[in-house]
Amino acid sequence: MTFQSTALGARDVAEAQALLHEKGWTDGLPVVLPTEEAVAACLAEALMPPEQLLGIEPVRGRPITAEKVAINAVMAGCAPEHFPAVVTAWNAMLSPPFLLHGATSSTGGCAVLAILHGPQIRELGAGSTFSALGGRDRALNCIGRALRLGLINLLDVRPGEADRATLGHPGKLGWCLAEDEEHTGWETLAEQRGIPREASAVTVMAAMAPRQIMNEWTTAPEEILETYAAEVRANLRHYSIWPGNYLLVIPKQHRTHLEAAGWSKADVQRFVFERARIKRREWSEVGKGAVVRDRGDWEYPAFERPEDVLVLAAGGPAGGFGAVIPPWLGNKSRAVTAPVGVCIDC
Amino acid sequence: MTVRFLNPSHEAEALAFTPAPRPASLAGATVGFISNGKEGTKGFFTHLEALLREHLGVAEVHWRTKGNYSAPAEGEILDQAAHWDFAITGLGD
Repeated sequence: MTFQSTALGARDVAEAQALLHEKGWTDGLPVVLPTEEAVAACLAEALMPPEQLLGIEPVRGRPITAEKVAINAVMAGCAPEHFPAVVTAWNAMLSPPFLLHGATSSTGGCAVLAILHGPQIRELGAGSTFSALGGRDRALNCIGRALRLGLINLLDVRPGEADRATLGHPGKLGWCLAEDEEHTGWETLAEQRGIPREASAVTVMAAMAPRQIMNEWTTAPEEILETYAAEVRANLRHYSIWPGNYLLVIPKQHRTHLEAAGWSKADVQRFVFERARIKRREWSEVGKGAVVRDRGDWEYPAFERPEDVLVLAAGGPAGGFGAVIPPWLGNKSRAVTAPVGVCIDC
Repeated sequence: MTVRFLNPSHEAEALAFTPAPRPASLAGATVGFISNGKEGTKGFFTHLEALLREHLGVAEVHWRTKGNYSAPAEGEILDQAAHWDFAITGLGD
């Protein structure tokens, strides 16, 4: 396999690590050295030649090749079997509705959240139950980190360079989670977005930090979901009034009550769609009265349509918790779901 | 060397365009502002227009606003900008 990338050398691993850090090619943590053999193994797993173009970043016109994405995946600690998910996430990020440049350079400081769907979850050993939102296992940590290292090295998304985030959030180190497709009767998020359950897929979202909620004092679906809707309303008040796709992560305890009452994902989406809206005058209650002006009666829904309520089953089996993950900039960036390993020639 | 590995960076060549020549004077010039649409740009550009007209003799100032803070300017704005002598853009919040 012939590579376009420059081959670098060092006397030992420690010197190589020092060089990579010095050049600004890491996230500050140690990396796995991207040897030709390791990079070739990733590309072979995805049946890709090094020069295969995954896409072109539209603002700076920078080509993103399989070779460079593989190098960064190896550095992140990915095994070859993780690489197809990384490639799929890049395909999704390069889709125009994702608005990659804005999402990775904004002062708003979101992170790219990748969500795994389908058989790959079991095949990769990715977990979707305990501690579902982060710090779980090799597959999730390495796939998420591979995306961040790729952004750093291929698009200069370093803090203070293209990354202009005022605060950012910890998910920027790499953020990947998996859908719990096993412990629910609900259709999967990927199915709702047109991907058959038998296929693996990745959803990417320009995501703000997760906001955790708790309600373990009721089994009524309306009351449980009112807590989620209230958190969405809080985001409309405290952060951004613009509608967009919010991710609702619903663990097993809440799902049990919802499913026992016969509520489908579509029912959940319709309820939250109706309840998550505020009047502009509410901004005056949180110190933003200056921009209310004469529009106090205007209503601002968090969602343009029920489908924008992204409902994900994930989380440990016990605990009346849930999470609301807001979008970065309303509907300016949309979550994108792409299937893994779809071959247009097959 | 006992350890060999591949360069993970984009290794891109310099951008395939060169900046436009800088004008020697703005006297009588047509200047364009491209706002990202954020509230703070109104006061900034209002003040800047006054300075440009008063101190540098700018003849015309055109204001345009992008439809999305974080996306490139629309094609019609770029078409209009082709008729300006000077443009000011790239402002953040």
